[in-house]
This record gives sequence, C-alpha cells and structure tokens, in this order.
Amino acid sequence: MHTRTGAAIVLDTLESLGVETVFGYPGGAIMPLYDALYDHRIAHVLVRHEAAAVFAASGFARSTGRPGVCIATSGPGATNLITGIVDALMDNVPLIALTGQVRTTVMGTDAFQEVDVAAITHQVTKRNIVVRSIDQIEPALRAAFRLATGERPGPVLVDLPTDVLRAFEEARPQPETAIAAPAVREGPRADARALDAAVAALQSAQRPLLIVGGGTRWSGATEIFRALAAHIGAPVVSTLHGLGCAEPGDPGFLGMVGMHGWKRANLAVAKADVIFALGMRFDDRVTGDPTRFAPNAHTIVHADIDKSEFNKVVRAQVTLHGDLRETLVALDHRLARVTLPSFEAWREAACAPQEQLPRDDARHDHLSATDFLDALFAALPDDAIVATDVGQHQMWAAQRVRASHPQHFLTSGGLGSMGFGLPAAIGAQMAHPGRTVVAVVGDGGFQMSMAELATLRRHNLPVKIVLLDNRNLGMVRQWQELFYDGRYSATALPDNPEFTMLARAYGVEARLVDNANAIGAALERMLASDGPMLLHCACYPHENVWPIIPSGKSVDDLMEALPA
Amino acid sequence: MRSVTANDGRILARIIHLAHRFGCTYTSVASEHVGAAYRMEFAFAGPGDALRRLDAQITKLLDDDRETME
Repeated sequence: MHTRTGAAIVLDTLESLGVETVFGYPGGAIMPLYDALYDHRIAHVLVRHEAAAVFAASGFARSTGRPGVCIATSGPGATNLITGIVDALMDNVPLIALTGQVRTTVMGTDAFQEVDVAAITHQVTKRNIVVRSIDQIEPALRAAFRLATGERPGPVLVDLPTDVLRAFEEARPQPETAIAAPAVREGPRADARALDAAVAALQSAQRPLLIVGGGTRWSGATEIFRALAAHIGAPVVSTLHGLGCAEPGDPGFLGMVGMHGWKRANLAVAKADVIFALGMRFDDRVTGDPTRFAPNAHTIVHADIDKSEFNKVVRAQVTLHGDLRETLVALDHRLARVTLPSFEAWREAACAPQEQLPRDDARHDHLSATDFLDALFAALPDDAIVATDVGQHQMWAAQRVRASHPQHFLTSGGLGSMGFGLPAAIGAQMAHPGRTVVAVVGDGGFQMSMAELATLRRHNLPVKIVLLDNRNLGMVRQWQELFYDGRYSATALPDNPEFTMLARAYGVEARLVDNANAIGAALERMLASDGPMLLHCACYPHENVWPIIPSGKSVDDLMEALPA
Repeated sequence: MRSVTANDGRILARIIHLAHRFGCTYTSVASEHVGAAYRMEFAFAGPGDALRRLDAQITKLLDDDRETME
C-alpha cells in the first residue's frame, strides 16, 4: 500500500501527463510542493522572478507545442505571474500555472500572502481551478491540461492551498502503469459547403492571397500549409506568429504583413481579390484601419478553430470553423479534384524581388542594429531558435528572420510584453538542449529580465544574448519622433549599466560590438561558444523601423522614412 | 433573454465583465444552483456589433465549461 501527499500527487500527475521540466520560484504556501520536488524526477528551473517563470514556460511551450508549466507561491508570487498568463492567452500558448494558496481554513481572512488569484485571473485564463481537497488534485490537473491544449490553446491556473498539498491521501494500491493521456474532445470540423465555397472562390480568383497566422503553429499545420500553398501557387504573407510557416526560400513568400510588414506584403493585401486568412485573427497591427483593409477583396475566406473570431474585426464571406490542419487537409483533397487557374503572373508581380527593406543609414562610426541582425540571421543554423523581446529589435527581427519552422521564432505578439525574450529563450533551451537558442533583446526589455543571467549560469544554459542597445526605449522614441513632435518623454536611457561587466559579474561571457567591422568575429565567437554568452551591441540610437503604417491607417499611409 | 447551464457558476461574473468591456449593459440577470450546475438567464443591451461579439464569447466560455474534472 502506498500513500502520497497532495504535493506528490501533483508531481506524479504532471509526470504522467508528460511534464519533464517546470519553471518556478518557491515561497511559503507552495513549500510542500518544493519539498516534493527535492527528490522528484521532474526537473525544476529556478528563475529569479516569477515573471520569468511564466515566460520561460511560455518559451518552452512555443518551441515544442507542449504545455509549459510554471510554479509560484501565493500572494505576490501568484500576482507576478499575471502578465505572462495574459501573454499566453493573447498568443494562444498552452500554459499551466500552479500557485500556492493559504490554508483552506483561513482563505478569506486576509491571511499573510493571501490573494484571490482565482478572481484576479478569471478574465485572463481559459479556466482556473481552486483545489479544495486532495482528491481533486489529479482530476483538476488533468482537466487543466485538456483545457490548455484543447482547440484554441491557452493558460489554465490551478490554485493549490498549502494544507491540500500537505495532506495524505487515503491508502490505496499504487498504480502499476502510467495513467493514460487525457482524452481529446472531438473538435469542430469545417462545414462541407463552406469548404466547397472556399474552393469555388479560388477557382474564380484572379489575385488570390494566403495570409498565414499562428493557428498554423498550434494545430501542427505547417507541412500541409506548405503543400497547399505550393499547389495553389498564390503569393503568401504572414502575421507575426505565422513566421516560419512558409516554405523556406519560397519566392512566393512576401514576408510579414501589417504595421511593420514588408511593403510588397501590404500591397498584395490591398490588391488581392480573394484572401484566405488561415489561423489568424485580424489583429489591429495586421489590419490597420479595418474599413480600408483589403479593399479589392470580394471574398475573404477565414479558417479558424475559434468561432468567435469570425467577423469580429473583418467580415468574411466564407468561414471554415475547425482545426486548421484538418481544414487544410480537407481543402487539399478538394483542390486535388479541380483545376485552378494559373496565378503565376500575379504571384510574380506581387513578389517584387527587387524590394529592399527601407532603413536609416547609421553614421559610419556607429553600429546599425539592422546590419547586425542581417549578419546574425545569415550565420545561424537552420534549426536555431530565436526569441525576441518587444520593441524595435522585435520588428527588425520579424522583418528579417529566416525561420524554417514557426516554433523557431518566439515572440510576444498580442500582449507585447517587455521582459519576455530572455526567459522565453531559457524555456526553449531547456526544451532543446542541443540547439542554438538566441535571445534578441533591447536595452529596455533586457533590464526587465536581466536577473535571469543567474538562471543561465546556474543551469549552464548556452543561450546567446544579442543585446541591441540604442540607449533608448527605441520604439516609443520612434513614435515620439514621428507622432509627438519629437518630445522625448522618458525614453532616453543614457544611464544604462556597462552590460558586459554586468554579465561577467554573473559569470556569463560577454563581448562588446560597437562597429560594423567587429560583427563577423563577434558572431563567430558567440556561435562557437558552448556556454551562455552576451553580445552587447552598442547601436546607433536613432535608427527607426521602416516601413511603418501608422496606427489605424492603411497601406496608402505607409511611411518609409522620416518626413522631409 | 438567453438561458444557459454551466458547471462553473463564476461564468456569470465573467460574462458581466465582458459585457461591460464591450460597452453593453445587462438588463436582466438571474441564476440558480440546480443539482451540480448553475442555470442562468441573462439579457444585455448595447450596440448590435458588441452584442454579437458578446454572444460569441459566451458560447466560447460555455464550450470551455464543458471540460469538467469528471
């Protein structure tokens, strides 16, 4: 006979659900779980702030497609998770947040480190569950995993009172075999008539366009999307989270669309007569002014797992409600039985192969961030994983990255959470110990997460940090320059620390790059390093992200340089 | 008036928050605990587009609510 504590049941259940690694930070109410972790097979990554735990779990999930798990104690530990939980909700990341809670007998008495995290996170989780007794632990966790991974993925929080974690279960025989994985609920399937209508729209199209979004990543539809795109022969554009879905090197791929997307990608949206929007939600950063989005499209076909996305922002004439991979397979079967017109002339015209990204010329004695990123992406191996923070560097990276799979480019898109990049890279590196993982960060976001240098050192994670330091909160500075008459309020960071010394203080190798001639050697050194390393790139401070479609505008208002 | 049944009674609070976020108001809300579930009735007023989005979100919440600890 065998009795376990509630904490042991938590870990055993996580293990039976395939969890090998968790990210967390201990504290009072969650101590029973940490006691059980002391000699458990599940690996625990100690971060230096709970916000990093949730972003690391997110990086793990984004780079694997499997749920990421983070742990925090009650009160401030739990509230420090909230930004990352919202971030996961916005970007559809399967995430399990486990929080300690005060004893059930004192809940509601304003006990030390008591907070009603269930109420706080009610609007920003797919569900949260307050476990009230030891027998609820296992079913709660299994339900949490089903919810987090089911249909449109997202975060689920499980709140674990400390007395429940300390309790012993009633004696029962030890299970001889691992409990089966949770059953997957039958999801919706795209309607046959809608599929026929989508095919008919394509048959009558002259200038069709495929917009690929993050749903492709989460439904595992990358391969079928590539096959379908090749079969159709239409040009392809991508949202931020769809990057990596298109076939690498496909000349029909026009790049990212939207506010900082490629001009040719946005022009293709403007010219297209039929648009297939696949696993995307018409975010305002994609559409700009939705009343001026795709003005020549008589048919928009919108495929998504979440019915509530249909006609939320942009009206679709055909909606395909279902798992995207299954929807694309069904489309592919139908398309195999019909003849499509050739879209080659339109595709070639849309591709504009001569187009270059517009850019500011850095002064000759300064380093250009975009020069550095061009060199970085040319040097990285095909299977490298790039995690970005949020800001100018994020958009420069999104414009240039050569991701060969959507799980190779990790970025906080919907919420735009600064401080995401380094912990997300930590999560990805834990999931992929043999791969090159690079965190591309700015000086603003890095300073929100730089304590995680200690996490790199402790776990000897060979994450490479490319710190593009322009001594500014660059994106806000850019908007102040463009839209606020150059009134640079609270965006200059002339007092940044000496980042190489800082990294070395944590035991992380670091090198300064401050001119274009030093880029090659620095990258060579970084990629040859078998440990963590920081490259501090001292960049030209006034380089802007071009092109830009100002917020709420359309491609007609696209800017490629500062107004004369 | 929409009538629904949910396992998690807190969904009602979530729906009211969503309605407020979308610029709608509730004109009628009622709920009772029946067996292990909650039966709810509610009606909202507001712009047509917002009401349509609210309705879609309510459906989505109820879909997720079907996932129980059973």
